[in-house]
Amino acid sequence: MSFLRILLIAAAFIFIGILPVHAKDMIVKEPPKSLSKYYPPESKQPKWIQQMHKMSTHFGGIFVNLKEKDYENVDVHADRLVEEYKKTSEMVPEWEDYFDIKAVEAFAAAAKTHDIAKAGKESGGLGKTCGKCHAEQEISVWAKFHWPSFHKIKVTDPISEKEVEFDDYMGSISTSFKGVTVNFGEGQYGRAAKALKVFKSRYMELKSTCSKCHATQDVKRFYVGQDADTSFAGLSQELNSEKPNPEKFWKNIGLLGKTGCKHCHLVHRTNSFIQKVWEQ
Amino acid sequence: MRRSSQIFDLIIGVGLIGVSGFAMLYFLVNERFEWIPEQVLELARDPEILKRPPAKKCSECHKIIYEAWKDSRHSISWTSETFIEASENRSKEKCLPCHIPQSVQGEKPSPRMDLRDEGIYCVSCHFIDNKMQGPYDLLAPPHPTFRNPDYVRSNFCGSCHQKTFKEWKATNVEDTCQDCHMPRKKSRLTQKAGFNLLHKKRWVGDHRFLHGEIKEKDVVMEPGWEENFFIISLKNQTIPHFVPTADNGDPRLYLYIKFFNEAGEEVDNAKEIIAPQQETALPYNKKMRYRYRLFDKIIKAEVQLKYQPAWSKEKSTLRTETVFR
Ligand code: HEC
Ligand code: HEC
Ligand code: HEC
Ligand code: HEC
Ligand code: HEC
Ligand code: HEC
Ligand code: HEC
Ligand code: HEC
Repeated sequence: MSFLRILLIAAAFIFIGILPVHAKDMIVKEPPKSLSKYYPPESKQPKWIQQMHKMSTHFGGIFVNLKEKDYENVDVHADRLVEEYKKTSEMVPEWEDYFDIKAVEAFAAAAKTHDIAKAGKESGGLGKTCGKCHAEQEISVWAKFHWPSFHKIKVTDPISEKEVEFDDYMGSISTSFKGVTVNFGEGQYGRAAKALKVFKSRYMELKSTCSKCHATQDVKRFYVGQDADTSFAGLSQELNSEKPNPEKFWKNIGLLGKTGCKHCHLVHRTNSFIQKVWEQ
Repeated sequence: MRRSSQIFDLIIGVGLIGVSGFAMLYFLVNERFEWIPEQVLELARDPEILKRPPAKKCSECHKIIYEAWKDSRHSISWTSETFIEASENRSKEKCLPCHIPQSVQGEKPSPRMDLRDEGIYCVSCHFIDNKMQGPYDLLAPPHPTFRNPDYVRSNFCGSCHQKTFKEWKATNVEDTCQDCHMPRKKSRLTQKAGFNLLHKKRWVGDHRFLHGEIKEKDVVMEPGWEENFFIISLKNQTIPHFVPTADNGDPRLYLYIKFFNEAGEEVDNAKEIIAPQQETALPYNKKMRYRYRLFDKIIKAEVQLKYQPAWSKEKSTLRTETVFR
């Protein structure tokens, strides 16, 4: 319990306690090229993250052992922290300035006095160096290395059976969506019904894209699952009836647009926006 | 004269000893191997086999199995172009476990760090606890073995074919994945000249993990007319999982229908995409009906069924049929 608490406090300190970034400095820049060496596919393992875990373990280890009065291990963790911190500072040359070797050495020296208050005070300077880099770089690193790219996914258009880029496919989905709504608005129900068939098959084709990023089928309950089926069935029923009911029609269009298109966009597009700028 | 008969006797004698020696050895190796002391076995062991070697190493003895495996999709699960594309040059971490498994043991494996180009290879599937596990209780002088009944059960394949396994289970059919995809033949497990004769013949499963052939009896197609509708049904009659079936791949059946009027002109057409990823694949033993309203006077329909495997962008035609009204 106390172990966890101390770790949490140390983590909170690094991640929240210090936010050395001001709103005006919040820039999402593409991470330096040399960082790619530490992520797949160039590296088999996410080595950068492993390095972070090492530093954070020794950082936390110092406080855990100070509390337990296990001073031998305090010294071990202090030495290892300096060692790993130095090693990390050499990994990405473009990021060298984020590191402050003096700060880590000062913290290690304070820890070795085995005075918990002193160590706590000296850890601030080091924690700041961690926090600054996290605040400025973590979003970019996530967007670059943790979010797969929609721009590298191709979709087979079910109508033409040609492979197209994902964003072009979105273009044709929204065109066929409009084919349904515009024709309905004009009272051309026959045409709207035909357009609905095209739109539905394009929409359902999206279900084939999920497995390119997701290894579980469960996600298909969202955006392309039961709710979408129900909306399509509702639309089809109206368009095939003698006298379509506009209220019901627009209600289903609204549902599809919201629980289908919009919700999927909210989850997936934020990163795609960032990646798109970098890829241009 | 006498000299040659002496030589003759010698040959016979040595031959007799040889034959009975071989018979004794054969008996010992196949029937009473527990009599052979561990120290003697140590002499025959090849320590390299237990160092997770590439499949090529196993081919020194298991040549037939190796060559079959080479022909299987499992051997190219990592180098497959379509996989590389879908996994963004293999950078998506979620995509590694089943394509480069460390060790298969009934649940989703962990990805391995070495020899990735070997894909799903012998060691992934057989090497557990420093032994070669397999379906038999036998003696393999070069390496320790262990009988594990899971090798003839579907849940072994279900470690990775998780969705297909669930589908299969729901059908309650007894035939296992291995029964159909690794049909067994009486043969020898090893082909190392001389040594292989010491081992009796056994059932050997086809390591090509057969795939890619949907036959007429498997998927039954029935077209017909009904007032102003054209109806066609497809039934997966023999395959106890969805057809097609997939985990992360995207195999498909395409059903194309063209409608013609009296003048022989094509006036309308329709298409179905029958794909597990779109949840439209054919369930086991259930008729799926597709209905099309006819707006013109139609006298003829042309139906075509095509198959596109998960690992290809090409379709092959399974069936063509012309149906008159
Ligand atoms: C030069 C930049 C930089 C510095 C300095 C830095 N970090 Fe990080 N750290 C990162 C980035 C980038 C990530 C996000 C990595 C990712 O998720 O791929 C990260 C993530 C982490 C994580 C979370 C890992 C996870 O599993 O998500 C921890 C813990 C961490 N850092 C600890 C530390 C500690 C402790 C220090 C200081 C002693 C430190 N970091 C200094 C850049 C830095
Ligand atoms: C280009 C890759 C990509 C594609 C394609 C994709 N997703 Fe995602 N999606 C992600 C990532 C990354 C996350 C963040 C969480 C994660 O990694 O699972 C996510 C999160 C989600 C979540 C939030 C819950 C969860 O599982 O984390 C849902 C629901 C979801 N996606 C559904 C879908 C559906 C449905 C499709 C297909 C129509 C789809 N996604 C296609 C990359 C993708
Ligand atoms: C898989 C979840 C998903 C669903 C469902 C979805 N979209 Fe999208 N859409 C995306 C993503 C991701 C992008 C960003 C693609 C990119 O960055 O190139 C996008 C982009 C777009 C764009 C902009 C295209 C461009 O050129 O940048 C339009 C328009 C669009 N979607 C319309 C729709 C409509 C209309 C629907 C519903 C009928 C819909 N989408 C359903 C994921 C989805
Ligand atoms: C370690 C995970 C794993 C295990 C265990 C496994 N498979 Fe596979 N299997 C795969 C992967 C991944 C592929 C796709 C390889 C490729 O084409 O890239 C595949 C492909 C196949 C194919 C070819 C499918 C096609 O599209 O043509 C068949 C058939 C097959 N496996 C049957 C089996 C059977 C039967 C078993 C059990 C004896 C089994 N597999 C065990 C992962 C596994
Ligand atoms: C739980 C195990 C498992 C995981 C995790 C997994 N796959 Fe597979 N994959 C399989 C199996 C089994 C097959 C063979 C059956 C099929 O076609 O789905 C396969 C086949 C494929 C195929 C078709 C064969 C080929 O070589 O083209 C592709 C593409 C594929 N997977 C991509 C992916 C991607 C992308 C991911 C990550 C999002 C992934 N896989 C994660 C088990 C898995
Ligand atoms: C020097 C020859 C040799 C090599 C190399 C070799 N094996 Fe064997 N293996 C045998 C013999 C002999 C048998 C027993 C054959 C018999 O009794 O019919 C056997 C049996 C087996 C069995 C059956 C186990 C059981 O209990 O059902 C498996 C599985 C096996 N080997 C896997 C491997 C794998 C995997 C490799 C490569 C890493 C390998 N072997 C390399 C000679 C070899
Ligand atoms: C996808 C997993 C998988 C891979 C890869 C694999 N095997 Fe097997 N192997 C099996 C299964 C399952 C059986 C049991 C087949 C049966 O008899 O039903 C088996 C059986 C065997 C047997 C015993 C004879 C038999 O067929 O029952 C030997 C020997 C063997 N394998 C060797 C190898 C060698 C050598 C390789 C590599 C060239 C290899 N295996 C690759 C799954 C695999
Ligand atoms: C009664 C025989 C039978 C059994 C049992 C069976 N299959 Fe199949 N399977 C087939 C046939 C036939 C096909 C279609 C033709 C082909 O690809 O070989 C097929 C196709 C496949 C495919 C190819 C994917 C595609 O394109 O449809 C995979 C993968 C597969 N089966 C895996 C499994 C797994 C895993 C099991 C056990 C859970 C299993 N099968 C059980 C007969 C069987």
